[in-house]
Amino acid sequence: MIVQILVSMAATIAFAVLFHVPRSEYWLCGINGAIGWMVYLFCTSRGAGVTVASIWATLVLTLIARALSAIRKMPSTVFLMTGIFTLVPGTGIYYTSYYLVMNDLAQFTAKGIETFKIAGAIVLGIIFGLMLPQSWFNQLGKVWKK
Amino acid sequence: MPDSKAVLSLAVSVGEVLLKNGGEIYRVQETVTRILEAYGIQDYHVFVITNGIFATVDEGREHAGSMVRYVPIGEVNLKRVAEVNQLSREICERKCSLAEAFGKLEECRNSPSAGNLALVIACGVGSAGFCYLLGGRFYDSVVSFFLGILLELFLILAAKHHASRLIMNILGSALVTAGSLSLLVAGAGILSDKVIIGGIIPLVPGVALTTAIRDLFSGDYLSGSIRLIDALLTGMCIAIGVGAVMKLFQFAGGGAFLL
Repeated sequence: MIVQILVSMAATIAFAVLFHVPRSEYWLCGINGAIGWMVYLFCTSRGAGVTVASIWATLVLTLIARALSAIRKMPSTVFLMTGIFTLVPGTGIYYTSYYLVMNDLAQFTAKGIETFKIAGAIVLGIIFGLMLPQSWFNQLGKVWKK
Repeated sequence: MPDSKAVLSLAVSVGEVLLKNGGEIYRVQETVTRILEAYGIQDYHVFVITNGIFATVDEGREHAGSMVRYVPIGEVNLKRVAEVNQLSREICERKCSLAEAFGKLEECRNSPSAGNLALVIACGVGSAGFCYLLGGRFYDSVVSFFLGILLELFLILAAKHHASRLIMNILGSALVTAGSLSLLVAGAGILSDKVIIGGIIPLVPGVALTTAIRDLFSGDYLSGSIRLIDALLTGMCIAIGVGAVMKLFQFAGGGAFLL
């Protein structure tokens, strides 16, 4: 469990570097990514499907990213784009096209549909997370400063 | 009131830097309109898609202006996005004259980012991490780490020679696959599929696919389609690279090594 947290954090920080995030935000990006992965693992261990787990994980991630963006005065993309990296179905796209190239059409459709379901779930999580009014987060940023 | 064409030029240039470095469509659109408003332009139209910005101001008046920018899909650089965001905030608070804003924009455009060494190590760590998260063992992660480093070195080298992005994806994934299968054949006892998936993680367009669907959900159908096609094509190129090398190894070994 501890290893999973550390590895997901390290992986997120690595992609934060690859996305050229400002140096001061590396740790926060890593923590955000690790929290997202934790929520995902928690949901799947309680028997939720990957789609539902993705929604919850992204929802939590998005809220944290918005809070951090208000506190650190950074665009929320910085935390959001790096944070969701452990969840996005990059491998899904790869496997989908791999099965197509290898002419395994049954697996291709199964993986393809799963990939789009996960991507859709993540987007829904982000949209729900973005629905809360910005003024709440700005208030949070002000409270934090005091 | 400053010259409307100069204001338009500033606003569109700010939008261009934002879009090129991975800002979302709605953020670019909002930033451009806010800057135009900050300099007192009331009559404007802005249209942003994934790889272009179109804007007109003061339509129907004598000093009407319009501007089009082509912005190819490039590397994500969130540091520049953050800096441009800061700049646009300053402009909106009217702390910045037009000339100052142009100067600051130029700084943002050329702001230094992480060095090649950092990128190479980060790529290795990312590959190793994902190899582990996707079910590899510690041993596989170590192999993935070195393949990730190899991949990033190749990508940096290829970028220097302005190789096409799709070809870079094919060759990069082929390189990773060849590396891991060679080790497997040499008797390293790795889980080759986990190592391969870890190694190509820096290439796969997961974030691009999610952004595409997000654009589609927010009604930017054109931007979403462009990104979706880009993501699918990238995925396809990676699969071609991996598949081709796997077939090659299968032919060479009579299928004895795999499965």
